[in-house]
Amino acid sequence: MIGARSRRILITGGNAGLGLALAKKLARRHSLLLSGRKSQNEVAGTLPPGAGYVVADQSDPEKSALALVRGIRDFGWDGLDNAVLNAGIGIAAVDGVDSAEAIRQTLDVNLLAAILQARALFPLLKKSSGTLTLIGSVAHKGSATIPAYAASKAGLHGFARALRSEWKGQVAVQVLHPGPAKTDIHEKAGYDPGRMRALFLAPDDIAAMMASAIASRRSPATLSWVRYLNGGAFTGRRL
Amino acid sequence: MKSGPRRALVTGGSAGLGAALVDWLLANGYEVVVLDRDRPWTGKTSVDFIRCDLASRTELDGVLPDLVSGGPYDLVFLNAGINATGKFEALDPRTHVEVLRVNTEAPMVIAAALFEAKACRAGAAMVFVASLSHFTGYPGAASYAASKDALAIYARSMRKYAASRGVSLTVAFPGPLKTDHAERYSPEGADGSKRMDPDRAASLILTDALAGKKTSIPGAGNRAFAVVGRMFPKPVTAMMRRLLYDRLKS
Ligand SMILES: NC(=O)c1ccc[n+]([C@@H]2O[C@H](COP(=O)([O-])OP(=O)(O)OC[C@H]3O[C@@H](n4cnc5c(N)ncnc54)[C@H](OP(=O)(O)O)[C@@H]3O)[C@@H](O)[C@H]2O)c1
Repeated sequence: MIGARSRRILITGGNAGLGLALAKKLARRHSLLLSGRKSQNEVAGTLPPGAGYVVADQSDPEKSALALVRGIRDFGWDGLDNAVLNAGIGIAAVDGVDSAEAIRQTLDVNLLAAILQARALFPLLKKSSGTLTLIGSVAHKGSATIPAYAASKAGLHGFARALRSEWKGQVAVQVLHPGPAKTDIHEKAGYDPGRMRALFLAPDDIAAMMASAIASRRSPATLSWVRYLNGGAFTGRRL
Repeated sequence: MKSGPRRALVTGGSAGLGAALVDWLLANGYEVVVLDRDRPWTGKTSVDFIRCDLASRTELDGVLPDLVSGGPYDLVFLNAGINATGKFEALDPRTHVEVLRVNTEAPMVIAAALFEAKACRAGAAMVFVASLSHFTGYPGAASYAASKDALAIYARSMRKYAASRGVSLTVAFPGPLKTDHAERYSPEGADGSKRMDPDRAASLILTDALAGKKTSIPGAGNRAFAVVGRMFPKPVTAMMRRLLYDRLKS
């Protein structure tokens, strides 16, 4: 059945990077609502045609959850087939220690916002027997460069593990852990990967792997070179 | 190197595992700084008490200078934690916010502040108290599971940096304890006799921390459970669901 019909898909952080690459891939076949921190004007022209946009700033996690629910209603949806909670930030630790401000900002945007959004979207997802997808990172096992970021992604991992079990039979829950991709996230984080960047995957290829992992509903899934070299961006299920 | 008696900081030191840690430390000649919402109920007068609700950023920011000046420390226990059990979607959003603030954000902010201010002596040990659920999953406490996993990985990420300052980091993964906390949050009819006495857990964790171990899973049964959980994550989480989530009332 999956891949056969048009789905209503919400993608947070859908105006840039991996979220936008995924949106572009899905726009022809599905109905999309994207969110971000930037205003409607700032993102005009960058979004795929037909996609809706809602401002939901995740530095206030509670408000961002309400904004998404309102945005979905205003868009005319009464259910949700997929929620892809992808928005995220990284802040490179200065001299090895994250500042209090960086810790709070990272946990709010990456972890707490996703938790409160999941809770707020539950009735809509349940109605459509939908899938909740959390975008983690391979850093969820730990990273000395970005400790608070790694912590936020580990939180998503543990959250998905518990919630997948809790919502079994109602809403599928999964966490996907992308490997490094050529988006602006590293520059925004104040981190220069230098020559390592040549080894990063193209956002488009990660997005392709995200789409097939979403269609398969499996969890957890790592989306990096190993999967890529096994044809992960070209084969597998279609969303 | 060391001047005067050894000093320790224990957050959440007024009850449960924290109080057991404080008892052990006092009995072993440490000077102890306790941070908690409430004063210690055991009538411990010989501790420096810092009152703070860790769910509040303003309160925490207000006491950070006192925490730093309470040092330099030989032992730091970031132990304070709260739980919230119930169907994830049925719990109030504020509850999830508080779980994340108290269990994850506050200990990370405190650890970072102590490192920045060099408030730990060389040779000190810092302990982050996570939960055995890290290895088993915890349906019925999804935000709690998230909060403790995040903390465990923060500690792991900071280990190298800490070592460069001569501080060892230990992550403790205690299983169910015989504390008010566990009793309040475990399902009705759960078998309390299998829970570990907090005094025993405290001494096991302290032994591991003082030996500079990376992880401390107090109790052979819990250690076995962690191994099985790591090898068979899905069946173990399914079992946790039957034990915990399926018995919830709300
Ligand atoms: N790129 C990688 O190497 C990599 C690797 C592993 C995991 N990931 C994860 O993949 C996800 C997407 O990353 P990316 O590389 O695509 O990053 P990106 O290019 O920097 O895009 C981040 C997206 O998140 C949104 N966002 C940031 N802060 C926000 C806030 N406060 N409120 C609402 N939205 C906010 C941004 O919207 P605005 O533009 O409006 O701020 C943007 O749409 C993140 O969760 C990231 O952690 C990335």
